[in-house]
Amino acid sequence: MGYAYDEQTTAALLRQIISRHISEKAAQWVQDRLTAWQQQQALSVFNMAFAAAPRFIGREPVTATIAESPVLPVDLEGYTADRLFRIWWLLQLPVDDKKKYIEIIENLFNTAEMNELVALYGALPLLAFPEAWQLRTAEGIRSNIGGVLEAIMLHNPYPAANLDQPAWNQLVIKAFFTEKPVHLIAGLDRRANPELARILLDYSHERRAAGRPVHPMLWRLVGPFLEEMGLEDIERLWLSEYNAEREAAALACHASGYGPARELLEKRPELKAEIEAGQLTWETVAHRVNMAN
Amino acid sequence: MCCSAQLTEKDLAPQAMNPAYLDAIKGMRFFDPHIHMTSRTTDDYQAMADAGVVAIIEPAFWLGQPRTGVDTFRDYYSSLVGWERFRSSQFGIKHYCTIGLNSKEANNEKLSEQVMEILPLFLYKEGVVGIGEIGFDDQTALEEKYYRAQLQLAMDGGLPVQVHTPHRDKKQGTQRSMDIAIEMGLDPYMVIVDHNNEETVKEVLDRGFWAAFTIYPFTKMGNERMVEIVKQYGTARIMVNSAADWGISDPLAVPKTAALMLERGISKADVEQVTYRNAITAFAQSGQINEADFERTQDIDQSLKYNGSTILRGGQQPAPDKRSTIIR
Repeated sequence: MGYAYDEQTTAALLRQIISRHISEKAAQWVQDRLTAWQQQQALSVFNMAFAAAPRFIGREPVTATIAESPVLPVDLEGYTADRLFRIWWLLQLPVDDKKKYIEIIENLFNTAEMNELVALYGALPLLAFPEAWQLRTAEGIRSNIGGVLEAIMLHNPYPAANLDQPAWNQLVIKAFFTEKPVHLIAGLDRRANPELARILLDYSHERRAAGRPVHPMLWRLVGPFLEEMGLEDIERLWLSEYNAEREAAALACHASGYGPARELLEKRPELKAEIEAGQLTWETVAHRVNMAN
Repeated sequence: MCCSAQLTEKDLAPQAMNPAYLDAIKGMRFFDPHIHMTSRTTDDYQAMADAGVVAIIEPAFWLGQPRTGVDTFRDYYSSLVGWERFRSSQFGIKHYCTIGLNSKEANNEKLSEQVMEILPLFLYKEGVVGIGEIGFDDQTALEEKYYRAQLQLAMDGGLPVQVHTPHRDKKQGTQRSMDIAIEMGLDPYMVIVDHNNEETVKEVLDRGFWAAFTIYPFTKMGNERMVEIVKQYGTARIMVNSAADWGISDPLAVPKTAALMLERGISKADVEQVTYRNAITAFAQSGQINEADFERTQDIDQSLKYNGSTILRGGQQPAPDKRSTIIR
């Protein structure tokens, strides 16, 4: 079997959500396309419906109900009707011939416009043969189109589950470089690793040398691997005039098993208490950054 | 002392960034329905945005040297709906395109066959407002073959057509382009005949086609001549574009022409027709142009701030101060 999850239940659920958000005329178009595809199995029918969807379905924002959300393999934040249709449509491809399946999907990627790319990369966790899209995902991370990067990086469980370490590290570094909300990367803490910590630490030094600010979320990925090398940076961060940076320092020390870092945290019992009470988290820091503080 | 002339405060002041014509068209919005941004720089995008260009159409064209394989066509088409559209959005300019096999490269029959096969993959993409630019260059038999084949695609899809007319033997090439379109049953109102001049305009309008004029230094129209055309023929079905590309051309041709028209006594309403409204009317027949999107593209969200410095979101580009020697 090609799918790593129950795709039929998901497909039914997606269609239910789509139906709620489109006109009767659009629903008829969807039904007609589905019938044509099932009867003819002609690739041109499949490709055309994928490309032309916004013309017939529109781009109303869609929402899942409280009951639907937890069952869906993707977060529908920011989804529009055409985008949802596109991922549902991908589930209509037969998976009995792996090579052909991959060819069809790769061809969609290769001829995609921006919104199609966003739909395709966002659909990665729903595609069959999860192991087949690692290179494609790494290629997507090289994109410089904001929306495409966000589709791969934010709320998307595919990269953390499937990318090897170098590709994963590229994703995270690129997220910092392109100023994405890093805390929305799925699996961020789980995939933290010493190599990434080293690269980010170097990156922070470059930023500092250039007189540019360092994103406080960076210390989230350095913290668990703090040792002598990063300590000086964290000590400096403790003295920052910005709340977000002092809090990031505290959180990084809290995540560290390195003695001197733990000692640093002891000097600020009030922050330590907040962290242990769950009042101060990386979400707090992320929120501050977004609130211009 | 090295210098004989005395420097005054005035000499030391930075040069004015805004040429006078920008004042004349302040607050106006422009639509350039023919411009090849793939060949242009970010400075051009910035200057266009500053001059009031809110939306553009980039027709697929000849890149200056012949392509040797279908893959480079595919990548080019996909860049028109992908990367270039994104680049444009960074400057608040809504980017549309037309997709087609240009007349020069239609003369490579083997390649053209392959290109015709992939065209349908792109014609129904979002923001594709027609087939173009297609038509005649040398007026060969192969050019005619693929012109006809693409007119058929346009009819099948109900899409507008952007017709390139040749430099050489222009009048006859223009006539022939229109003859074929009518013979095949296209509605002239769906066809935009491009690169007109004083010699071609009358017939194009009389036969019910849209007449586009390219303001392009030396080889096509100058904008003083354009003013006279509008004075003589009015504004119905007439539109102005820059066709700025990899040659010596001017991406500000549309706003500059608008300023000149105002200066020479053409009413603001008429100027708006030929530099904005008519192009939208013609290409919106594709169902792909929504004016509300122009505002959305311009909605620059700079709300994310960190440590006092603004972090730009949504891919919007910060505008550097071009007058300064300092680059940060």
